[in-house]
Amino acid sequence: MSDPTASQGTQGPTGGGGMGGMMPPPRENMDYICADCGAKNEIKPREPIRCRECGHRIMYKKRTKRMVQFEAR
Amino acid sequence: MPNGSGSDSGTAHRAHTFNTLAREQAFKYPPADGSVHEILNEFVSPHLESFNALFDEGDKPGLLSLGIKDIGERVAFDGDGRAESESGRLGWGNRMRIWIEKVTITKPMVPERDKTALERRVFPSEARERLTSYRGRMSIKLCWTDLHGQKNEVHKECGLLPVMVRSVRCNLRGMSSADLVRYHEEPEEFGGYFVINGNERLIRYLIIPRRNHVIALSRPSFANRGPSYTSHAVQIRCVRPDQTSATNTLHYLSNGNAMLRFSWRKQEYVIPIMLVLKALVGASDKEIFEGVVMQDYDNTFMTDRVELLLRSFKVFTMHTGDQCLEYLGDKFRVVLGMPEDWTNAALGAWLLQKMVLVHLDSPREKFRMLLFMLRKLYALVSGSCRPDNPDSPQHQEVLLPGFLYGMIIKERFEEILNQIRNLITVDVRNGVVVDFNDQRYFNKVTSRVNFDVGAKLSNFLATGNLISPTGLDLQQASGFTIVAEKLNWQRYISHFRCIHRGAFFAELKTTTVRKLLPEAWGFLCPVHTPDGSPCGLLNHLSRTCRIITRQLAVSHLPALLNSYGMTQAFVPSIDGRKNLCVQLDGRIIGWARPNVAAQLAQYLRIWKTEGQHDIPLDLEIGLVPPSKGGQYPGLYLFSTMSRMMRPVKYLANGRDDQIGPFEQVYLNIAVTPEEIEGDSSHVEHNPTNFLSILANLTPFSDFNQSPRNIYQCQMGKQTMGTPSTALKHRTDNKLYRLQSGQSPVVRPALHNTYAMDSFPNGTNAIVAVISYTGYDMEDAMILNKSAHERGFAYGSVYKSQIIDLKDVRGASKSSTDPTLHFGLGRDIRVEGEKVHPCAHFIDLDGLPFIGCRVSSGDPLAAYIDDTSGRTKFVKYKGDEIAYIEEVRLLGNDAGDGELQKIQLTLRITRAPVIGDKFSSRHGQKGVCSQKWPAVDMPFSESGMQPDVIINPHAFPSRMTIGMLVESMAGKAGAMHGLAQDATPFKFSEEDTAVDYFGRQLLAAGYNYYGNEPMYSGITGQEFAADIYLGVVYYQRLRHMVLDKFQVRTTGAVDPVTRQPIKGRKRGGGIRFGEMERDALIAHGTSFLLQDRLMNCSDYSTAWVCRTCGSLISLGYDDVSLGEAVINGELRPTGPGGEYCRVCRTAQEELDERERQAFATGQHLQQKSQGDVRVKIPAQNIFGRSGKGGNMDVVAVPFVFRYLCAELASMGIAVSVEVE
Repeated sequence: MSDPTASQGTQGPTGGGGMGGMMPPPRENMDYICADCGAKNEIKPREPIRCRECGHRIMYKKRTKRMVQFEAR
Repeated sequence: MPNGSGSDSGTAHRAHTFNTLAREQAFKYPPADGSVHEILNEFVSPHLESFNALFDEGDKPGLLSLGIKDIGERVAFDGDGRAESESGRLGWGNRMRIWIEKVTITKPMVPERDKTALERRVFPSEARERLTSYRGRMSIKLCWTDLHGQKNEVHKECGLLPVMVRSVRCNLRGMSSADLVRYHEEPEEFGGYFVINGNERLIRYLIIPRRNHVIALSRPSFANRGPSYTSHAVQIRCVRPDQTSATNTLHYLSNGNAMLRFSWRKQEYVIPIMLVLKALVGASDKEIFEGVVMQDYDNTFMTDRVELLLRSFKVFTMHTGDQCLEYLGDKFRVVLGMPEDWTNAALGAWLLQKMVLVHLDSPREKFRMLLFMLRKLYALVSGSCRPDNPDSPQHQEVLLPGFLYGMIIKERFEEILNQIRNLITVDVRNGVVVDFNDQRYFNKVTSRVNFDVGAKLSNFLATGNLISPTGLDLQQASGFTIVAEKLNWQRYISHFRCIHRGAFFAELKTTTVRKLLPEAWGFLCPVHTPDGSPCGLLNHLSRTCRIITRQLAVSHLPALLNSYGMTQAFVPSIDGRKNLCVQLDGRIIGWARPNVAAQLAQYLRIWKTEGQHDIPLDLEIGLVPPSKGGQYPGLYLFSTMSRMMRPVKYLANGRDDQIGPFEQVYLNIAVTPEEIEGDSSHVEHNPTNFLSILANLTPFSDFNQSPRNIYQCQMGKQTMGTPSTALKHRTDNKLYRLQSGQSPVVRPALHNTYAMDSFPNGTNAIVAVISYTGYDMEDAMILNKSAHERGFAYGSVYKSQIIDLKDVRGASKSSTDPTLHFGLGRDIRVEGEKVHPCAHFIDLDGLPFIGCRVSSGDPLAAYIDDTSGRTKFVKYKGDEIAYIEEVRLLGNDAGDGELQKIQLTLRITRAPVIGDKFSSRHGQKGVCSQKWPAVDMPFSESGMQPDVIINPHAFPSRMTIGMLVESMAGKAGAMHGLAQDATPFKFSEEDTAVDYFGRQLLAAGYNYYGNEPMYSGITGQEFAADIYLGVVYYQRLRHMVLDKFQVRTTGAVDPVTRQPIKGRKRGGGIRFGEMERDALIAHGTSFLLQDRLMNCSDYSTAWVCRTCGSLISLGYDDVSLGEAVINGELRPTGPGGEYCRVCRTAQEELDERERQAFATGQHLQQKSQGDVRVKIPAQNIFGRSGKGGNMDVVAVPFVFRYLCAELASMGIAVSVEVE
């Protein structure tokens, strides 16, 4: 996960938008899984939802790699 | 369809096993050739085959082709009809014929715009997941003729037509289980439904009158149709080859006449039968007389009436058939809308062809049939035959989904042609240049016509509403379709077997239509019907009941019967007293003496069971023998579609036979081989064949009191079970899933046949029948807390949420350039300090993390608004904690749009809690009242503890002995490792179930009767009585407290009345109604009453004037600077300056008048007070203002003040008397 807050960021990391301009923040591309062929697809924001391998029109979001932890009760 | 014989072979010796490994194998590696359970494909076949019948198959025309043939052509003219003008002799000018030649429907495909998709086929799973409809492209070939009679044709797109899953137009057609799993379906997917907006919807079977068969009716309402009408009539529902129908009714008039009634475009018309008889074949009076009387000249009842019939027609002064045709054509010319240049005679003939006995082609056959109807009518009136019961399955058949679908399509096509014709007529009338040679003119006309048949059908399937100009000869216009809910497998499959009597009968006050008739035996299940309002109207087909979907080949039948002694139909001078009419599908094919008819019926049955003479097995041979005042006799043969049929064994030759409800009434069918008597003709393959699939799944149902089996059929469908094995690909609004489902130890043989083990519906529980804690009274049950903690009956609910940015506020109208986009904007900080709280839930793409826990108010998705540049959130609205199970990104049809729509599956965990509902499979439902600690549970000598404790009082009044037997059988089965066969009707008085399972229990070291000594878990002492302990399969029902509890202390109130609002969703209260009020009054607890109805509801205080008693006349003086002084007088007010405006005005007026009276010397008259008086008791009066003012504060319900205001607006004053 890269820098999310370009203009207001106080701890702007090395790359990205420390310049304070109105550049949209560089976003990591997200990986999705095609519902038909199961291929991994990188879809950038505002790109059509379509599998690069088979042209299918449904994508599943991948399970997060982030730790998901709940209180066990 | 199952023939109902095979499945239960050898239960006596070879015990059932659980087949666990075989099932696992089949589930892991589904067969690549065929399906795992073929029977599941068979039981929906009427749905599928009726849909398939729409399409041409080889050289056999489909129903759509037959339909467009029946529509024929419409004719438009370019002249305006002024005779002898420049447009020809008749003035109509040139003729343009317009017709539809061909209909094509493709399989669902990816649209042409999408260039990238490798798989061009669209599968139902995509339609479900993308929440779209599963549709194929429909187009027609529209033809018309130009000035020279040359044929022109144009292809017209008719939109996207919803296609039935697994039909011939479905891409899943003929797939094996392995393929189905590859395309994200169940391995046992059987189709039969449509996918509309992601929902599975199906057209329900509907019961309609049997086609092409004359039934005698006696309805008092017929007498109200007009002067001299009587309650007697005969009716026939005639069906055309394209499965559309027209009903003809022949009414008997008290003057001996008969009137033929039919309806054309929802409008009813009545014609004297003589007019029709003459118009059909130009019959002479003698011919008609002989045809009706049939040599029965001694029957003066009949001869008198025929004479009256003939005499009464003399007033029409029409002698020939052509005169009658012309008369008919003249009268109907305007309504029919046929070409204007047709002669009256042609119109009359067309009317008879289209509306009178439409199942017959030739006028002569129609004539013969009408004579038969007349004879039956006179027989009914004279009392020599009984009226038929239209509520009996004997006179019923089924409206199949595909046929109804075809009827609607046909009607839309007809409307298209009518519209084109009308547009041209309007153009001619308005003087627009109409050039039949100009292709562009025709295109211009067609561009104004709505060709989108697909959208009409989508709407029909989505709403179930039939929008039709003709009504399609049906009694209802809505409620044709239902959602196939995948709540659990049992509910899902019973949707495909349910059959409705018709919405019209639901409103009927009489209950005769709901009656269970003996005629329904083997066709409609007597057990599987809901209780409550749809009881007896919504039935389910018996397990072995089939519905015929193919027209049988019977054209050789008349000749065959002739050669075996039937007199031919055209033979004159047949004695009507001694001969029975032989009919094939409502066509008179001959006459036969009663003994010959019986002989013929027997021959036919032997031939059809043995396959001789090409007699199809599905032919129904209804021999109605002559009787005194019974059903009208005859030999009626049926070969048409839509009939119910079921398999039985024919005793004469031991072959399989198929019988229908019409003939069943006259057959003697033994239920078991032991029951066969001298006059038995057939024997059932299996005594359980009359039950539906669900009723068959109740173990030992023959031991239970019958209503309990009905309840189990209901509860089996409300169980939290396994809805689907393709759960990952489902987007249903709500799915219930039992996490720890088990295969029942005690199961009927059909449990395996119908693959119920693939969809477990409950858990085997150790059940003790004991009154132990007092928490199990009134059908409550106690759960063992340790069993609960080990996952007993643990379930989850899957909810679906759709977020479509198109529907969000602030979305732009254009679909190509949306202003809202999923994602996190720059105003959201996801790293470093002051991280936005949404970062715990939402990923950088604006979609939630999978597996994330959300509670009410947490964000589910984020989107950026281009216009404001801000990020907005869609929040989770539910009250319960949910987990994100799946996030689907849905593209558009062509796969070229950016992300605008997502679908989230939320999982809500539902561990059993106190208040959740459970039931055994015997209609014994109960609510969990306690989760009892394991240490305090009673235990048996072997140390077993029950999972569930139920109260013994649940049994005596309900008499569910099946549950007791199941408990024993389960216990023995668990000990011996057997799957116990619980098929009903397997035991007898000699060979009892108790003995069978008791011996098994003895062998396992238990008490023969299934009870055993138990010890108190608290004291450790042995109980004085032995406790009945065994294994019962328990279902968890979907009714859970978490969905139902309603509690409120304070909350929202209604703005008008200030009383608490209603509704659980809005946090409202539960109504404390009149009867509850009565209860409190009866108890004398008036303080509670005060609390409920006043203090906790709309308590309010109000100022009331002690003088005039008004609640609405409060006024304020500003007394902050001292008391008001007007005209030098001190005005009395309350402590805050309150005064009564009415009284003050009155006082002022009085003063004024007194002054005037004093001046003029007149006497004063008293004014009356308000007319409605209410007394308020002293304890409700507070703050009686001490000084001066005449106002008191009283406690009244706010609605009372509202009432006073409302009454005042109508000019009624309410006066409150303050003591």
